[in-house]
Amino acid sequence: MNDCETIRDQLVAHHEGELGEGERRLVEAHLSACPDCVRDAGLIREALARVETLPVPEPPVGSWQAFEVAVRRRIAGEAPPRPGLWGRLIAPLHGLFLLRPVPALAAATALGLLLAVGLVRTQRSPRDVPPAEVLVFNEDLAIGQNLEVLESLDFLEDIEVLERLDVLQKLDGGRRPRLS
Amino acid sequence: MREPDSEVIQRVLKGETGAFDVLVQQYQQEIYRLAYRMTRNAEDAQDLAQEAFVQAYRSLGSFRGLSRFSTWLYRIAMNLCLNHLKSTARQDPSEVDGNLADQRADSLATLLAGERDRALAEGIEALPPQQKATLTLRVHQGLSHREIAGILDCSEGTAKANYFHAVRALQRKLQAFQKVS
Repeated sequence: MNDCETIRDQLVAHHEGELGEGERRLVEAHLSACPDCVRDAGLIREALARVETLPVPEPPVGSWQAFEVAVRRRIAGEAPPRPGLWGRLIAPLHGLFLLRPVPALAAATALGLLLAVGLVRTQRSPRDVPPAEVLVFNEDLAIGQNLEVLESLDFLEDIEVLERLDVLQKLDGGRRPRLS
Repeated sequence: MREPDSEVIQRVLKGETGAFDVLVQQYQQEIYRLAYRMTRNAEDAQDLAQEAFVQAYRSLGSFRGLSRFSTWLYRIAMNLCLNHLKSTARQDPSEVDGNLADQRADSLATLLAGERDRALAEGIEALPPQQKATLTLRVHQGLSHREIAGILDCSEGTAKANYFHAVRALQRKLQAFQKVS
């Protein structure tokens, strides 16, 4: 594979800012001297810009109201949705976590810190099991303690938690992430 | 100020089923556009979007609230679109979005731009469904590769690879179009 082929395989990643520092420098050094690859990079930019603006035909006026009515009619025949196991577990905390997110976050942070300090001071044995409400309330800490396993999970709902953990891990100098 | 989705969901789950209308009003256009970009057919897109909301309603109790409701809804809609693409024969790319060029054709420059758009639309239509889905979620919904991986049930690496292949394919399509024109 010659230089241009190697570089062309990296142009999308370069456009996305996904390359490491070394690879980025190599690509940019190559681009500074290769008009063909510059043209390809330009086509990638153009393709993405055009894709973004490709028109989507709007339905006729009144269609959205008809859409709502149709959905309403269809769900009228359905059994009302009920909270699943997860919903029932967090229901008592709903007022704290969902309705008042800022105080809830502060409360969660404070509780997380208290628990972390408690864990260090008491050197809890692995057989100790925290109460169920602490397990639920402090789920993010448990995630942090088992990051490797969780990173292999593809549950959609864990994605944002894991992303926050990545950020926190960086901020925390690579140490075990904590809820904040 | 708009009521947070989490509160609306709680109202629905407490029996106020009419509150689901709020979620429909909030996301119907976005879900329709996503479905249109996958199917390139307005009627199919409306049907799929409607079905996505009905399925979301049925499964609302299993929504844990750790991701955005919209991301969860995209997953439902995208699964429906992918199943739809599997069950329908692929359209002839030459018939796709024939009106794209016309929509912008008020001068030679815009005619050419329209033709490039049409070439791209054909390129998108020719992409494998997973690549098309990845491209749509990345470009139009602005999702991260990790979020896309969650929606499409694949690894983050696969999501990235699908996206890179899709963009490269479109770049080649533009390149070929340039040579021809």
